[in-house]
Amino acid sequence: MNITVLYGTESGNSELIAEDLAAKLNEDHTAEVFDLADFDPNNMTADKFYILVCSTHGEGELPNTALPFWDALNAAAPNLDGVRYAVFGLGDTFYEETYSHGSEILDKRFTELGAKRVGEYGRHDASSWDLGTDLALEWLPGVVEAFEAETVS
Amino acid sequence: MSTTPSVAIIGSGPSGCYLAQGLRKHWPEADITIFDQLASPFGLVRYGVAADHQSTKAVTRQFDRLFERDNVRFAGNIRVGEDVTLEQLQQAYSVVAFATGLTQDRKLGIEGESLPGVFGAGVITRRLNSHPVVEEGPTTFGDRVVVIGNGNVAMDIVRFLIKRPDDYEGSDINDALVESYNAARAKRIDVVGRSVVADAKCDALMVKELGKIEGVRFSTAADCTVPEGADRATSGRIEAVRELNELEPAGNVDTEVVFHFGYAPEKIIGETSVTGVDFTPTTSAGEALHIEAVSVIAAIGFELQADASQMFGNDVPQLTATPETGRFGQGLYRTGWFKRGPRGTIPENRADAKEVTDEIIADVEGGVITTLPSQTGFAALPESVQEKAVSFVDWQRLDAHEQATANAGRIRTKISDHAQMVAIAKNN
Ligand SMILES: Cc1cc2nc3c(=O)[nH]c(=O)nc-3n(C[C@H](O)[C@H](O)[C@H](O)COP(=O)(O)OP(=O)(O)OC[C@H]3O[C@@H](n4cnc5c(N)ncnc54)[C@H](O)[C@@H]3O)c2cc1C
Ligand SMILES: Cc1cc2nc3c(=O)[nH]c(=O)nc-3n(C[C@H](O)[C@H](O)[C@H](O)COP(=O)(O)O)c2cc1C
Repeated sequence: MNITVLYGTESGNSELIAEDLAAKLNEDHTAEVFDLADFDPNNMTADKFYILVCSTHGEGELPNTALPFWDALNAAAPNLDGVRYAVFGLGDTFYEETYSHGSEILDKRFTELGAKRVGEYGRHDASSWDLGTDLALEWLPGVVEAFEAETVS
Repeated sequence: MSTTPSVAIIGSGPSGCYLAQGLRKHWPEADITIFDQLASPFGLVRYGVAADHQSTKAVTRQFDRLFERDNVRFAGNIRVGEDVTLEQLQQAYSVVAFATGLTQDRKLGIEGESLPGVFGAGVITRRLNSHPVVEEGPTTFGDRVVVIGNGNVAMDIVRFLIKRPDDYEGSDINDALVESYNAARAKRIDVVGRSVVADAKCDALMVKELGKIEGVRFSTAADCTVPEGADRATSGRIEAVRELNELEPAGNVDTEVVFHFGYAPEKIIGETSVTGVDFTPTTSAGEALHIEAVSVIAAIGFELQADASQMFGNDVPQLTATPETGRFGQGLYRTGWFKRGPRGTIPENRADAKEVTDEIIADVEGGVITTLPSQTGFAALPESVQEKAVSFVDWQRLDAHEQATANAGRIRTKISDHAQMVAIAKNN
């Protein structure tokens, strides 16, 4: 299975989680990691599985490194029919009203463009002091399974 | 000659840690040491970020792994310029990067500033965080306090002045200070900033957080209409101030907070100690303002520590902020607040450290920096320095101790005596 792990970050937590997910995935599959800042949305294809790890900054906004991708995504509005992805969102419940909204912005747009989210929506809350990687690695098998189930049917 | 450098980073705050991250990624084998004058790592994350903002401090979980897994060495309890000289570092390492921050309170530069009763916000935020080498400071501020500044640090100060001991659940606040302050609380707090609301430096969320604290009435005479074309941050801040102004206070009201926007301090009044502050308006619409006060807390920013030149020995370089480059000498770099000036949040130091990482990589690979066989890093330092250093494992011992001895309702109780910090860390 070919997997692309994409991350959007501002203080670096999402990057570490993305790298840890890719390292785990590379045990059985082929996974690559990209900062969203270095990834062109026009390159998203239906034969790959995308895992998005993305935090929230400002007031419920995307983190800095996701912004160029967001602009490119909106400018090109590529047809993402058949593209499958999973989301692990980072946030902080201290920000009650905008908790974890950052990744949701991309999730919503991906769906609008025809892509399909599979598996559970993963979350990490900075107020918990949980290690993001621990939660993400627990979450990972579920979404991989969900993706495999999708592609078989 | 090797193309893998050895790297000494001075300062274990966010910028030092982000720089180590970037360099480690590029050079998995390089000897990278982060020095800090304190036995504890993480700089202002531990000693600036407010004790009741623990989730902001959680970024240290990310930095932990530099030391735990990525083989970056922590050498705490080593003050560059005192325990080791820059020259000694340069003999042992081919790259030396300063991430030493800017921690001294900026002066107001007005008459009356040296009167008893005038304090810098940095002194107070360090004390609230139990910093071990803190200047003399007060535990009470009298019943009328003027806070000068309207950035996020000023809001941290206001929050402290209006909270009660019960409001610090889950924090690692300095309880002794909070208790003694609470026994003689300020009754009225005037918060005075140079900027009008639209240009104030604080985030809306910091303002909103104040509104959740009981027993306080907030007011302002400022115009809180959102100007046409205001960006989200600006309109959010103005709305937040307006909401505070309209808020029906909860609980037993015994504290008043009044915000004044658009006034610059002109003179601090008092014979033997502070009795008030004179302000001049920064807008044509405003009028002169006099506010009575027993104490003044200036939260107007930070500057280079007076003793920082010690780090450079005899050869003190010109050090004005240079956002465009981190290099300031052969094999010498800087990052974070020490490079850009005392502005910006933790994440901004990551972007900055990335740029400096790229500069260092380009210089090493371009042959500007050569690493001598003798520059093996930590092992090449004088033995006395190696022995004095507090390692990351040592720090974890101190960390565990602080958590295990936490007061009820707190997540840790910090040791505020540096010799004791070192002794616990080193298990002496
Ligand atoms: C009161 C306050 C509250 C803040 N709150 C927030 C917040 O809530 N959220 C946020 O994102 N940002 C906050 N910030 C900003 C944030 O703290 C800074 O962006 C960040 O810490 C700057 O990182 P730095 O690594 O450049 O410096 P620092 O964090 O200051 O680290 C410098 C380190 O260098 C060490 N050092 C200095 N001199 C020597 C020497 N001679 N030898 C050895 N070691 C030395 C110091 O001990 C220190 O550990 C706050 C800042 C302040 C002052
Ligand atoms: C200035 C700032 C604003 C933030 N705003 C939000 C927010 O609105 N909602 C939220 O859920 N988390 C918010 N967060 C929390 C981050 O999403 C959280 O710390 C996350 O772990 C950061 O991940 P990153 O390092 O990959 O950027 C904010 C953090 C900062 C520093």
